[in-house]
Amino acid sequence: MFSFFNKKGTAKTAKDRLTIAIMSDRAGTDNFPFMEKMKAEIIEVVAKYMGVKDIDIKKEVVGDVEALSIDIELDDVAINKAQI
Amino acid sequence: MERLGRVIAIISGKGGVGKTTTTGNLGLGLAMNDKKCVVVDFDIGQRNLDMILGLESRVVYDIVDVMDENVKLKQALIKSKVNENLHFLAASQTKDKTVLDSAKIQKLVMELKEEYDYILLDAPAGIESGYEHTIEFADAAIIVVNPEVSSIRDADRAIGILDSKSQKVKDGGEVRKHLIINRIDAKMVEDGDMLEGEDILSILNIELLGKIPEDRAIIEASNQGRPVILNSNSPAGQAYKRISARICGEKIKIKEVELQHTGLFDKIKGIFR
Repeated sequence: MFSFFNKKGTAKTAKDRLTIAIMSDRAGTDNFPFMEKMKAEIIEVVAKYMGVKDIDIKKEVVGDVEALSIDIELDDVAINKAQI
Repeated sequence: MERLGRVIAIISGKGGVGKTTTTGNLGLGLAMNDKKCVVVDFDIGQRNLDMILGLESRVVYDIVDVMDENVKLKQALIKSKVNENLHFLAASQTKDKTVLDSAKIQKLVMELKEEYDYILLDAPAGIESGYEHTIEFADAAIIVVNPEVSSIRDADRAIGILDSKSQKVKDGGEVRKHLIINRIDAKMVEDGDMLEGEDILSILNIELLGKIPEDRAIIEASNQGRPVILNSNSPAGQAYKRISARICGEKIKIKEVELQHTGLFDKIKGIFR
């Protein structure tokens, strides 16, 4: 009886939890279709100046700010070259 | 003239949400709309679409036999018992899913596109290689979810992979995505205990193709191997009919299956429940 007045319903909780979970899932995946092409182009530019071993790009979400973190691993030869 | 059919992958991420049931019913629904349609089971090792269609006793050759060129495509295609426009290609039950190979799948899909108006591919659950192969050459995708957190979260992951791994996207195009919300319990929605369609759409950010209510007739139908769309008294069967017509381009308003009790008496009863 009178459930209408005191029951909030669990659907709202589901929506809130899902929204957060999916936002964090999406942040962790490379879901840009152009990601491979962009990686190749960045390698091309950096390789003009030094040798590149590997590149890793991640999308990160901190609060309301979205950012790309780009890690470029240089090969040994490149480091030597850069020091000279 | 040569046909160029539309390839639609039926996907879900999570298993058990009604993907195979949906594939079977929409295949038959499109056939009932006079479209030449083939449904292909990509769930290697867990063949089930044959049971939904009531064709399990007729399977002789499967998709792997065709891809390995042991038999011609026509030899492996099985005609529906209820509609001559609908054909079916079974998954292999014995082989490992690693047998799938992009070049062979593309060849098969192209061959089917020349013969049929619609090619529906029933994806395996999960987001592994079998799934990726199913979406690889799709023109569009139908995502099936239940109004429940794990189904929606898994669907979002599957959509993410669709958006990055399908050939159409790699070629700079776009794979159209359409959502079916399956197994809606009107009473639970009314009580505020089940996610509403609008919430699911805004979370997943895709367009709605249809809503299907929870319906006992679904299991009765699969028990008999007669897709529920043939049962015109069943709310789920009616929903599949509307969805099939929408795919064929008919403008049919989405029926809000969440709102079964809209009469004043029902509302008052709801307050004092």
